[in-house]
Amino acid sequence: MKNLCLLIMASLVIISCSDTEALNPVNQTRISDANAFETPERIEQLVLGAYSGVKVGNFYGGRFMNYQDVRGPEFLNERNNAVTNLLTWSFGVQSATNEVQNLWSAAYTAINRCNILIEGVKTAPVADALKARYTAEAQFLRALSYYSLVTLYAQPYTLNNGTSLGLPLRLKPETSGGNNDLVRSTVADVYKQVIEDLNAAENGLPLTNTTALNNTTRAHRNTAIALKTRVYLSMGKYPEVITEANKIVSASAPFSAPTGVANALASSIATIFGKSTTAENIFSFPYSSNDVPGTQNSLVFYYNASAVGGQEYSLNPSGIIANTDWKSTDARRNFNVVTGGKQYVHKWTAPQTDPDFVPVIRYAEVLLNLSEAIARSTNSVDARAVALLNAVRGRSDATTVFTTSSFATAQNLIDQVLTERRIELLAEGFSSPDIMRLGQNFPAKGLAPAVSKTDTQYLWPIPLNELLYNKLAVQNPGH
Amino acid sequence: MRLKIKWIYTLALAMLMQFSFAQEKTVSGVVSDATGPIPGANVVVKGTKNGVQTDFDGKYAIKAKVGDVLVITFVGMQDATAKVGASNTINVKLQGGNTLDEVVVVGYGTQKKRDVNGAISKISGAAIKDIPVQSFDQALSGAAAGVNISQPNGVLGNQAVIRIRGVNSINLSSYPLIVVDGVPSFNGDNLNQNNANNNPLANINQADIESIEVLKDASSAAIYGSRAAAGVILITTKKGKAGKFSVNFDTNVSFTKPFNLIDVLDAQQFTDIKNEGLRNAGTPANATRGFYTMNDANGKLVDTNWYDLIYRTGVATNHNVSISGGTESTKYFLSAGQLEQEGMFRNNDFRRQTARFTLDQKVTSWLTLGGTMNYTTSRNNGLSTGSTFGTNFSSSGAARLAFAQAPNVGPFRSDGSYNLNATAIGQGNNLTPLQWVNPQYILDTNTFVSQNDQIAANFYVNLKLAKGLNFKSLYGIDNLIAENRDFLGPLNGDGQSLGGAATNTMNRYTRKNIQNVLDYNADFSENHGLSALVGSERQYTNVNAWGASRRGVSDPFFNEYQGNYSTIVFAGNLLTENYLESYFGRVNYDFKKKYFASVNARRDGYSAFAPDQKWGNFWGASLGWNIVEEGFFKNLVSSEVVNQLKLRASYGVVGNNQGLNDFAASSFYDAGVNNASGTLFFNRAGNRNLTWETSNKLDLGLNFALFNDVISGEFGYYKNDIDGLILSVPQSPSAGIPGSSILSNVGSMRNTGYELTLNAKILDKGSFKWNASFNITTQENVVTALDANNSDIIVATQLENTNIIRVGESIGNFFIVQTGGVNPANGRRIFFHGDGTAVQYDHSNPVTSLRWTKVSDGTPTRAANQAQDAKVMGPALPTFFGGLNNTFSYKGFDLNVNVYFSGGNYVYNGTRAGLLDQRVWNNSVEAMTRWQNPGDVTAVPRIVWGDNISNGSSMPISDNLEKGDFLKFRNIALGYSLPKSLLDKIGLTNFRFYVSAQNAFTITNYSGFDPEISSNGNANGSPSVDRNSAPMARTISFGLNLGL
Repeated sequence: MKNLCLLIMASLVIISCSDTEALNPVNQTRISDANAFETPERIEQLVLGAYSGVKVGNFYGGRFMNYQDVRGPEFLNERNNAVTNLLTWSFGVQSATNEVQNLWSAAYTAINRCNILIEGVKTAPVADALKARYTAEAQFLRALSYYSLVTLYAQPYTLNNGTSLGLPLRLKPETSGGNNDLVRSTVADVYKQVIEDLNAAENGLPLTNTTALNNTTRAHRNTAIALKTRVYLSMGKYPEVITEANKIVSASAPFSAPTGVANALASSIATIFGKSTTAENIFSFPYSSNDVPGTQNSLVFYYNASAVGGQEYSLNPSGIIANTDWKSTDARRNFNVVTGGKQYVHKWTAPQTDPDFVPVIRYAEVLLNLSEAIARSTNSVDARAVALLNAVRGRSDATTVFTTSSFATAQNLIDQVLTERRIELLAEGFSSPDIMRLGQNFPAKGLAPAVSKTDTQYLWPIPLNELLYNKLAVQNPGH
Repeated sequence: MRLKIKWIYTLALAMLMQFSFAQEKTVSGVVSDATGPIPGANVVVKGTKNGVQTDFDGKYAIKAKVGDVLVITFVGMQDATAKVGASNTINVKLQGGNTLDEVVVVGYGTQKKRDVNGAISKISGAAIKDIPVQSFDQALSGAAAGVNISQPNGVLGNQAVIRIRGVNSINLSSYPLIVVDGVPSFNGDNLNQNNANNNPLANINQADIESIEVLKDASSAAIYGSRAAAGVILITTKKGKAGKFSVNFDTNVSFTKPFNLIDVLDAQQFTDIKNEGLRNAGTPANATRGFYTMNDANGKLVDTNWYDLIYRTGVATNHNVSISGGTESTKYFLSAGQLEQEGMFRNNDFRRQTARFTLDQKVTSWLTLGGTMNYTTSRNNGLSTGSTFGTNFSSSGAARLAFAQAPNVGPFRSDGSYNLNATAIGQGNNLTPLQWVNPQYILDTNTFVSQNDQIAANFYVNLKLAKGLNFKSLYGIDNLIAENRDFLGPLNGDGQSLGGAATNTMNRYTRKNIQNVLDYNADFSENHGLSALVGSERQYTNVNAWGASRRGVSDPFFNEYQGNYSTIVFAGNLLTENYLESYFGRVNYDFKKKYFASVNARRDGYSAFAPDQKWGNFWGASLGWNIVEEGFFKNLVSSEVVNQLKLRASYGVVGNNQGLNDFAASSFYDAGVNNASGTLFFNRAGNRNLTWETSNKLDLGLNFALFNDVISGEFGYYKNDIDGLILSVPQSPSAGIPGSSILSNVGSMRNTGYELTLNAKILDKGSFKWNASFNITTQENVVTALDANNSDIIVATQLENTNIIRVGESIGNFFIVQTGGVNPANGRRIFFHGDGTAVQYDHSNPVTSLRWTKVSDGTPTRAANQAQDAKVMGPALPTFFGGLNNTFSYKGFDLNVNVYFSGGNYVYNGTRAGLLDQRVWNNSVEAMTRWQNPGDVTAVPRIVWGDNISNGSSMPISDNLEKGDFLKFRNIALGYSLPKSLLDKIGLTNFRFYVSAQNAFTITNYSGFDPEISSNGNANGSPSVDRNSAPMARTISFGLNLGL
């Protein structure tokens, strides 16, 4: 009998209750998808998470800006290293090239974060005003992302009013598999979506984010408007550029934004990089020692030739630095530092481990966007256009003051504005988009070939992995 | 349930009944073997439960009656029988080493080898205890059929690559489950690693291992259910034996250094070759560029052999002492070990101290308590070698630096300071800057330490409920604390961009395992044998790791984490857990030891899966037919000729969850930082349908023994059909799913092969004995399904895509551009486009678009590239492998020769691409055979400065693909034991000294360091790649075994 008891006890031990708690552990370091939108604090963090998506190393953390710059004529590749954008610089990218695949993935991951946020905020436990603001921030970031992609993976809008193949427009959250297939919308449809998002953002964003840091690193109403001036300029819709720009640019110098954040030029260009949050820095992505874009991604790595940089790209001696119109006394020449007989852009000087902010929209750009748009749409040497140009030039080069009589034709003025853009916005990601929106050819530089606007390499191919898994996607002609 | 228990109980009662009629008397005697009396041998009257054990002098006394048969058994000896006659004294001499009577350890128990139906290989601890390695796994190459164990390189502590019957997963681990004394152990796949390899298996002292059993088929492994797909290795540590008190002391000293290093250019040759490259590139050396030798302060040419700086002859000492013994009721084993080992690399040291105590106490006739406690503290000092998975192209990798650094500069300037410039070694007289870091600085400054403290302990209670019915409850823990400490110097190498960095991480791995097993063994009669077992197991595993990296060292003096730095970031954080709950059972039945059947089953619940998918059922069943027991066979063939002939077959379904993320099925948002504020973002798309990979294993085998075991062996066939392989199924990147992939059970794969094991007692003439054991295994792998598109999976050797997983091919075959040697007409490498067009490359053409031309007409063409032109080549996995072990003994001498062989595959010699790279890297002496004049037939293209394409640096080329066949004399040991007469005088039971050579030599046509090298270690999809990896080490040991 004793044995029987023991046997029964033993059996009970063996089949004792299942430990259901241990079978369903809670991850202590990650938030479950079931309760990500549970508290107002988390939603605030999800909004910042959308910003973080756009500012990753493969996107606005540095690489994207570098692609846009090294396609243009201003830089020479120093390292001959395929990892650091050599193929972009030399127009040799293919559909499987890392740059082509990584940028696409990074941007769409960011777009998905925006889509998840827009959807999730609808039922979130926050006040309606906050819902509107968060949605608007997500729309702004989604617009920035789609606009950025369309400038590289598609023909410029100005070629044919956007009838070319654009991007797959993903506007719904994707959190599980199954929605692989989606056609590429036209370039026009992509721009339409970008403008819609920015219009909605303009409505939903606050006039000010109260602190200087937040006014630079989070979108406010003027941020959306400023981006619209860039987008319309890319579309060649100059009257719309003027309409938008006038919302944030006063009629006459000194120019500043009459409503919302009082955006204006900083007095010295020397003050607007680093971790600057001046009124000129309409929008920048912030970084810190715990928030870095990763090795071989940051701008300081690509351009800086001192110990903190990677000395990857030097200034092309026959690029804009050869232009004598850019005076040697111009304060902006101070960024061009000579190392080993070559000049390097030192707009970014903090180490990769605690990098500078990445400036995305500066007030100077808005002024130049407006100046060019006025000159083009009025087709005249407009006094305000000249004044806008002077505002930018004069800040760094007091010795040059343009007057309406400096320009024989409207085209002369436009050319001067374009030159000013090359000087002012050097290494800030404007080179390739400016060439493409104007339908220009890419000139040869160093060992990199010239690429005409009819060349396959004028735009990037759609990534191979998109074509493999999205059965409705088609490749750009020739790639 | 209740009914079943009652039935078992009734059976048990039946067994207890005893009847005796005849007149009993007391029979006594001595049980001995060749060396003397055996204490603790069992003497049982056949067919009764009447049994005793021999005492310390081997004496026994038992009541029996005339006509009874005494059965005398002792572990490791052949059973003996003696019929009780008129005499009251029966002395029995046992014969040693019948393999069929050997006891083998199986899951949750033991079995006689004779009764085993499954495919189990046993390796005795004695066979590996003196081999100079860091962990027992490294000593097992070639030891058993179906088990391929190779050593990736000679870096200390590197985990051996273990494959049991092929590669058994793609994304999860193909590493077997390692169970130490019943408790699954951590292995290197589970650990946060720095450059000091940390293999927890090295925390087990080899000298403490009694035996190693490898469970290969479903029948034997299914009791481990969801973790058995890649096989199971059971480690059983030593226990005390009743009556036999012994002290063993083992000590050895060994010397280790790399072998088969490839000769590189000396300073003058380097200078000449690089200048020739510049000349050929149209940019000859002049006042601003070019390579020039230099003299040191004494006017002597600087000619640095970096091998001499980086490698050394490492000295190791190893001491182990153990005490074991016991009585009928108390058995104990106590050991301590100390290993101090210097590796072949400077700065690579391993130190380990172990202590183990095992106690088994019989408290009453029905209660036994016992347990084992093992404590290990170990420290591995490592360095960046570029020889572990994912580090192959590390610019500070010492293995590559050793052959790539320029020989015409030295480590120091004449003033004694490090020879450095901005980011590389100082360029000396060279006008063209050098690229690589200064190895001297790296070796002197950078440190990587991994320090372990591990306690593995278990405690058990064994209740004897009735005859043959036991209940055992075991509670085991395995707590491993691994502390990693790295320092990277600020002046050169990996630490430079960080301004120097100290990174410390603390990693705590804890495991708790509770097992309850009810075990029943019965021989109902002569005819029926039954054993059954039911049990449950719970295993809790937690990982808690945290750390930080401090960067920007304020002063070169500081090289510890606690020094002064400017910034700090977190590093190595991990907090995770998993839980496995299991119910299992086994029934073995035999009829007249002639027909065998067994069924194993296990139901596992695992925490990583979604609620609907947590539970899975696994099973294995087998049948065996011992033909020699058949009457017809006995009539046909004498048992003197064939003493065993057993057919076996097994089939079953087991699972794999090893290496799966603990929360693999779940979707998560992750926190991050935006400037200084917290962020949250969707970062992981889970899959609620995720479940185990399943392996359907078929095993067919024939076990045989001829001429009373003079020849014995095993022939087997295996087939593992693996389904539901968990792959990262790619999603359209535009969907924006993080990582653009979701884990799903989509792939399938098959491994098939044959195994043959032969053991032969070749010679046994007087004092000369020669035993040999040979095994060979063939393996064939084919991937049968991947994702819905059957998309190829390209597998990288860190930065270089080298392998591919493609449906219809063997896993990890090479993905390489076909090349056709060097065009004798112009010295250019010939490549083939995917369509077969032969093209050639001339790096000297200043116009890049004109560098690629067609061989046929010299017209420009597109560049060859991997995406368009690579072909699948292979096989990369060996198609056969095995071992040959010869043991000779003559009087006191013993000689053991262990051979490991493997072949049928190719190895991608990516190291050769580096050795012929025409950037500022040094070259192998093979570069001297370069093409120079039209008509030269050579394997080395015309040297052109900067050429990183012709020799395989920018894409893998088939000219670097070589046959991987080799035969390696893994271990040769020659020993001498003092004769017994002498031992008795000095009061010892054993005194043996030996000399051994590990990796004595290799027979191969492979041109690299060693065809066994595996740059990617245990990675499933990228085998047989040799890319910048360290060579193998050869170790010569001198040792002493002492017993009393």
